[in-house]
Amino acid sequence: MSIAGTLRLLFGCVLPLLAALAVGVLDGRAAAEERITFGAAISTTGKTAKEGEYTRDGYQFAIDKLNEMGGVRVGGRAYKLALKYYDDESRSERTAQLTEKLINEDKVAFILGPYGSAPTSTAAPICERYRVPMIEANGAAESIFSKGYKFTFAVLTPAKQYLRGIVDFVLAHDRGAKTVAILGENEPFSKEVAAGAAEYAKEKGLSVVYQQLYPSSAQDVSALLTTVKSFRPDVVLGAGHLQDSLLIVKQAKDLGLRPKAMGFSVGPSSPEFRESLKRDADYVLGATQWTPALRYQGDDPWRTPKAFADAFLAKNPSYSSVPYQVAESAAAIVAFQHAIEKAGTLDPVKVRDAIASLDIMTFFGPIKFDGRGVNVTKPMAVEQLQPDGGKYTVFPQAVAERDGIYPMPPAPAP
Amino acid sequence: MNVAELSQIAVNALLLSGILALVALGFSLVWGIMNIVNLAHGAFIVLGAYLTFYLHEAAGIDPFLSIPICMVVMFALGFAVQRALINQVIRAPILATFLLTFGLEILLVNLVNYFCKGDTRSVTTAYTGAGITLGYVRIPYIRLAALLIALALVAALAWFLRSTRAGRAIRATGMDIDAARLTGVNVPAVYALTYGIGAALAGAAGSLLSVMVPFDPNLGGAYTERSFVISVLGGLGAIGNVVLGALLYAFVDVFVGARLPQLSEAVTFVVLVLALVY
Repeated sequence: MSIAGTLRLLFGCVLPLLAALAVGVLDGRAAAEERITFGAAISTTGKTAKEGEYTRDGYQFAIDKLNEMGGVRVGGRAYKLALKYYDDESRSERTAQLTEKLINEDKVAFILGPYGSAPTSTAAPICERYRVPMIEANGAAESIFSKGYKFTFAVLTPAKQYLRGIVDFVLAHDRGAKTVAILGENEPFSKEVAAGAAEYAKEKGLSVVYQQLYPSSAQDVSALLTTVKSFRPDVVLGAGHLQDSLLIVKQAKDLGLRPKAMGFSVGPSSPEFRESLKRDADYVLGATQWTPALRYQGDDPWRTPKAFADAFLAKNPSYSSVPYQVAESAAAIVAFQHAIEKAGTLDPVKVRDAIASLDIMTFFGPIKFDGRGVNVTKPMAVEQLQPDGGKYTVFPQAVAERDGIYPMPPAPAP
Repeated sequence: MNVAELSQIAVNALLLSGILALVALGFSLVWGIMNIVNLAHGAFIVLGAYLTFYLHEAAGIDPFLSIPICMVVMFALGFAVQRALINQVIRAPILATFLLTFGLEILLVNLVNYFCKGDTRSVTTAYTGAGITLGYVRIPYIRLAALLIALALVAALAWFLRSTRAGRAIRATGMDIDAARLTGVNVPAVYALTYGIGAALAGAAGSLLSVMVPFDPNLGGAYTERSFVISVLGGLGAIGNVVLGALLYAFVDVFVGARLPQLSEAVTFVVLVLALVY
């Protein structure tokens, strides 16, 4: 056997096999089918149960699709992918425990992120300690990436940029808009969204007349909204989660607060936003990581956002539309696939290096990490719920499905 | 803070206190009479909210009309739970009832989670968000109605406890269980009745909350906490006290919330601590 042949054998089969053994993905019973198992702690119950479901379904959908296409090729061998997840009950301290369990007991090869910034920030140090790379898709707070972790990467646009699109949308329609009120939930991600929005609004010449945080468990924000109303802001921005956004729209109507535009970081893109609020959801703007209307041409099984959405809905008939959490979660799998194939090994540190040097275009948008592990290349889009019952991408204008409606017309008389 | 804002905030607090009083009413009754800190109270509220939601979605029943239905269903459930479960441990140390109701809470919340999914729900009617404007102040109809219904239920319960035979038996049992038994009160039945009424009131609170706030199966825990604080602030002596407790809670929560929302919860609990100390 030639030296080249030996080397090929060594790198092609022996090393991956050893690496696979080392991380324990080889099931002792049968070596017939080789698997790469991804582990994730996902909130399928608790406060973010819905978003957790989207996350899980996105991971699973991408894994199934890649498996259908033959799996991931590592050094000449095809590996099937699998997902192992536990419910973290929307409690960050559970996320950390479960991540440790996945690495230690279940011996998963790689970690996928949980839903939300707070749980992601508890999973990250665990991955760091065990030197297992994590690509996360649902933790946008930049604070996760300020601690110098080397094994955590995020495919999504960071929190501080979430509401920029809505500010730009307003200014594109109305140079005369002057004042903004910002309400944020008091937790790491939303705080950054609110702070980032305030910074950007000021940079664009708007004046931030009100900026406050409310507690995560708030069931009543009428006091804040009463104060907001007394400032008569042109724009009201909310940085919280679905439940908060619903509450703000409801109570704003109760109190007769009707700004020219109302936008949220999280909420309007979920189907439940319309289901819960019915007509009161009209004209509300939502920031979104991704919509099927965007025009990306990616290097992945679906290539375009539209094709991804169609394929997902065909497989998951219980969804009426594709939440962006599904897309970003699927994008994490795509990023792992590219990195593993590029690394040509399952060695966690080598895969980590391959992730760090990724520079790819996907159906979800560009993925390229900065030194912290944040994907800074992808912009946010803006959606608007319009009175015909539909939800349309209205910004950036280059990819808009429709013109946005601005300002919101006065509330219909009761 | 100008006059318009101040008066609106005061009205908000007043309106909020109504629903909070109703939230705490059943909890306070059960605690005062049976000395059970009913940690499953929030779960009953959630059940009431879901029942209202489904009656509205599936049968088109107005959420306000479904209040009596919820109360009857929840009464039956509460009665059965007390008879079958809690009566078994009623003489055991307080920790046993704590654990039992806590377990019940987890069980109910997870059953709701399983059968109704974790989706955030909200009951939206034609009149959601409608209201009247009086000078500076805007009063949403739904919150006004909730306040009136809450006050009516407090009054009805107070009347029931004072003026009916069953009500007097409940109070007698609360005062001295042995004396009540000696005079012929059927204590297990009275306990079941009391717990059933507590659950029915939680169901009514859930009905009203379902039109006011978006909810999911985990809504309850926060309301159990609030019920606890309000019951303590008001005192357990008389049932009308929950109105005072709720007023105090609502005013602190809303006024602090208007300027320092991050601190609103901390401050309400500081008030609780002060109330306990002094």
